[in-house]
Amino acid sequence: MSSHAVSTLRHAASGAYVVLDDDDRITHVSALLHDDLGHRAGHVLWDHLPGARDVYEPTLEEARSTGRPVESVVFYAGRVKRLTAIPGPDGLAVHVERLGELDLTSLATLTRSLARIEDALGRRASERSDSPARASLRALL
Amino acid sequence: MAVTVKLAPIVTLDAADRIVGVASAAESQFGPLVGSVLWECFPGSEPLFKPYYDRARRSVEPVDFVQFYDGIIARVHATPRDEGRLELAWEQLARLDTTTLETLSDSLSEALGQLDAKRDDGLRDELRRTLRVIEGGA
Repeated sequence: MSSHAVSTLRHAASGAYVVLDDDDRITHVSALLHDDLGHRAGHVLWDHLPGARDVYEPTLEEARSTGRPVESVVFYAGRVKRLTAIPGPDGLAVHVERLGELDLTSLATLTRSLARIEDALGRRASERSDSPARASLRALL
Repeated sequence: MAVTVKLAPIVTLDAADRIVGVASAAESQFGPLVGSVLWECFPGSEPLFKPYYDRARRSVEPVDFVQFYDGIIARVHATPRDEGRLELAWEQLARLDTTTLETLSDSLSEALGQLDAKRDDGLRDELRRTLRVIEGGA
């Protein structure tokens, strides 16, 4: 993929992103994520996100192995996010867009937030084939 | 037969639900909140807990209940004292782990198990209704 194509894709994706080297070390943090992850630059992504590797890595690996952008919807740390992994000459850009969040205040808010997440995943699934996150949510019990 | 373990008071409220006393073991967490109204410190908690506290004050009898708040299921013990004061004690029974869908599922199952053990049918049924929303794809 040309540098121009990579640049165009990155601008079209969420402004919240990190760039990883081949060892999943954070080499760049976008301004939107700077407060959350700026101090993690130079660190391996997984070292600070317990349990995230199994969730995120399939998307990252597919992007690396195909050399093409890969998009997925994942659930991690109570949030549903759209991941867009875009390989480029400077590394793998991982864009994150938050689609929904669990509200654990009460069972009522938990139920409502689960329904909102289901809706978000449903809208997403109607555009594409069923996402792993939605299938997993359905399989919770 | 269920065994009820006596819980040590952690926080004391005045008649206006203001925090007026904190056990030394809980000082780091609740000490800075002394003087504040409980509900202002823990958003969304009032409708979940206040009815039980009011009942304890009205009946002048201790009230024991299980409640879900902020991802935690806890057994709470409220003991009425003079002048509308209330001593609160609690123990955590389960915590939802939202790291991944797998940990969420596991912790939900554990929470249901704890509620089964505590024989709290009301909250257990409510939790099951919550989970049915997921199953039904609401």
